[in-house]
Amino acid sequence: MAYSDKVVDHYENPRNVGTLDKSANDVGTGLVGAPACGDVMKLQIKVGAGGLIEDAKFKTFGCGSAIASSSLATEWIKGKTLEEAASIRNTEIAQHLSLPPVKIHCSVLAEDAIKAAVADYRAKQPKASEAAE
Amino acid sequence: MATPFTDTAPGGAHSIRPCWSCRGPAAGDAAFCETCGVIQPPGQEDHFARLGLERRFDLDAGTIDRAYFARQRQVHPDRFARRAPREAAIAESRSVSLNAAYQTLRDPLRRATYLLELAGHPIAGDGKTIADPELLAEVMERREALAEADSPEAVAAVAADARHERVSAEAALGAAFAAGDYPAARRHATRLRYLGRLAEEARRRSAMRAA
Repeated sequence: MAYSDKVVDHYENPRNVGTLDKSANDVGTGLVGAPACGDVMKLQIKVGAGGLIEDAKFKTFGCGSAIASSSLATEWIKGKTLEEAASIRNTEIAQHLSLPPVKIHCSVLAEDAIKAAVADYRAKQPKASEAAE
Repeated sequence: MATPFTDTAPGGAHSIRPCWSCRGPAAGDAAFCETCGVIQPPGQEDHFARLGLERRFDLDAGTIDRAYFARQRQVHPDRFARRAPREAAIAESRSVSLNAAYQTLRDPLRRATYLLELAGHPIAGDGKTIADPELLAEVMERREALAEADSPEAVAAVAADARHERVSAEAALGAAFAAGDYPAARRHATRLRYLGRLAEEARRRSAMRAA
């Protein structure tokens, strides 16, 4: 199966590969997997004081489409608010990378990884009500 | 050992359907009509019933092999060379469904996957993601170790470790099925699948090096 030029580009030059300190309070980590194909994806966000995602890193073991989906996801969420990042749909990723139907699940993995990272970051923050007191 | 599946599925040994040839009653999963002896088309029975095996995980390869080859002999094309074309065609379709059953049950992980499907606890399939932090952290760690392995010996060590883990994961899977604990069985099966992928990746790495 031929990959699109965009998938090949992200696969050969993945953006933002790496790791952030997962124990830091301003870092959210999302770890998701697709057992059917044996893929595992870690996506991390670092949230700045203004509530914007100032850095994002990923590490993915899987096929080219899974690597490209997570690479693209980290590019897209940088500079976004948590709400904006969490609203990214897998269909947008799949469309941008021209993923064939059999590889749509790779974009689902990326969407779920973003959501998991945002949820992990939020769980680390003091509750809004407590913060207001 | 607990045997969680004792019910006879519809189309199993105790159901009766008419023989296509003599219209007499034929047992649901019997290969041949009791009345006229003509071969019967495969029914809707599950893969275990097709091979006459108990629906359980704990089956050894020899038992499955014997069940399969005995049934394949019954439908061998040579035995139908001088029978009506329709009987030969039915024998052929029985052979195809026996093959499918054998392929599914012979491999322990595929057998586990199938059992979990039958039990209504399927492992995450295509397009489904999981977020089991402990399992995924382990997978991540092993994949990283493999990616960082910079010598044939280091790759072999990761592969050997994965093989060792697969043996214990398979034992844990068997114990979970025996206890009727499907959520645990599903988790062990998912882990086995990941370990299998790791082993594949290790083989690919060794082959690349050898090339």
